[in-house]
Amino acid sequence: MPNKPENICDAITFKKLFETYAKGLKRYIYFKTKDVDLTEDIIQEAFVKLWDHCDDVTYLKVKSYLYTVATNIFLNHVKHEKVKKVYQSNYVKGSTNETPEFVLLEKEFLEKIEKAIKDLPPLQREVFLMSRIEKKKYKEIAEMLQISVKAVEKRMHLALKEVRLKIGNI
Amino acid sequence: MEKEVNHIDNETFLAQWMEGDITDKELKDLVSDTDYLAYHKITSGMDTIAYLEAPIKNSFASIQSRIDAKGKSKVIKLKRYWAISIAASMLLFFGLFSMLKSSNEIIITSISEQKIIKLLDGSEVVLNARSILQYNQETWENNREVTLEGEAFFKVKKGSAFTVTSRNGTVAVLGTQFNVNSSLDFFEVICYEGKVNVNKATNNIILTQNESFRTINGNPIEQWNTMGEKPSWLDGEISFKSVPLKYVINALEKHYQIKFDSKNIDVKMIYTGSFSAHDLEIALTSVFKTMGIEYLKNNEKMYTLSHSK
Repeated sequence: MPNKPENICDAITFKKLFETYAKGLKRYIYFKTKDVDLTEDIIQEAFVKLWDHCDDVTYLKVKSYLYTVATNIFLNHVKHEKVKKVYQSNYVKGSTNETPEFVLLEKEFLEKIEKAIKDLPPLQREVFLMSRIEKKKYKEIAEMLQISVKAVEKRMHLALKEVRLKIGNI
Repeated sequence: MEKEVNHIDNETFLAQWMEGDITDKELKDLVSDTDYLAYHKITSGMDTIAYLEAPIKNSFASIQSRIDAKGKSKVIKLKRYWAISIAASMLLFFGLFSMLKSSNEIIITSISEQKIIKLLDGSEVVLNARSILQYNQETWENNREVTLEGEAFFKVKKGSAFTVTSRNGTVAVLGTQFNVNSSLDFFEVICYEGKVNVNKATNNIILTQNESFRTINGNPIEQWNTMGEKPSWLDGEISFKSVPLKYVINALEKHYQIKFDSKNIDVKMIYTGSFSAHDLEIALTSVFKTMGIEYLKNNEKMYTLSHSK
């Protein structure tokens, strides 16, 4: 059975492929686009393309197919944006798209944060992840962990402070 | 000193800020500017990580629906074809009926389509894209007359007078090969063989082999000599000789069914050259690059023109 090449056109296999590759692909594309919506669009388009060509793509080549297709969609988008920019620059002169709050979230920076969170004391880390990743309210966290909201707040405060210290100068 | 540090550590303002209980402005008063920026960057970084780590079920649902939508549209398409085929057969049915009555033959070409029509006397007409040719089958023997809207190349068998009637004028011949282009206010006749008699309002002009005639928008008649044995559009090239750009743009629009925004350019510039009837990209380059005009694709059907710098 494992040696038998699987059929991508099969709905269950297709879903499995999505579960296997989507997350990695999302990360990969996000660091190119730095844009959540665009990333989402590209991933969807790439998988829809895979489905359209499910007869032509072999099971072993799925991963490279997805990454290639997604990258191409991204590059096309960039090309289009460039054309758009040239077009716009003909009309709007001397404008800049840099706003004071413009923050580029580089891959290295996110990796630093992830590392800093990993190094947090377990109690702080638990609360911090529940709040910032799972987007739970302090009250919910307090109920789940059977501690006071005040205690949750304390851990959150310390956790952010700690992460900031670990990351150092920005 | 140590006491004060402890005191600050016991605070929870960062937690409250993250929850939105205290504002950015309030936080700014509590921490240094660099810290403030760092906290901001960390929390937005966390949001990104959250996004990257988030379950991907939603995405899959959208993909599923996009795939399903495609499947559905295919089904609808089939149904639609079915409806069209009924409509077409009904049209054919009624068309046959009306033909029996008037025996008026109408031949229409759509975008980038050409049709070769053999007329009853053996004459041949090549109808260019977006053109309409009409003639009466019943009276054909006594009256070789066709009505043309658009462009066509004629190879007329010798015989009685053969007349092409168009909005811009009529062309009468005995037996010859010639091209008529009558679109909008543009009227052009090129004679490739034999003799043609062009009648435009009060003007009567006789063209012999390789002579051409043209009027644009009621302007004085131009005449010149051409080379070649047949119009270039028969070979997939659409050519122009000293034509205002406006008509070239119009021809491109008609041929490829696109639109141009030409308000930023001078459409009165004169163009001589040809464009491909098969490849839009090549056609655009060959017309606009040579004229020093940039074209920008807004979407599938719309282009904006501007003078290059």
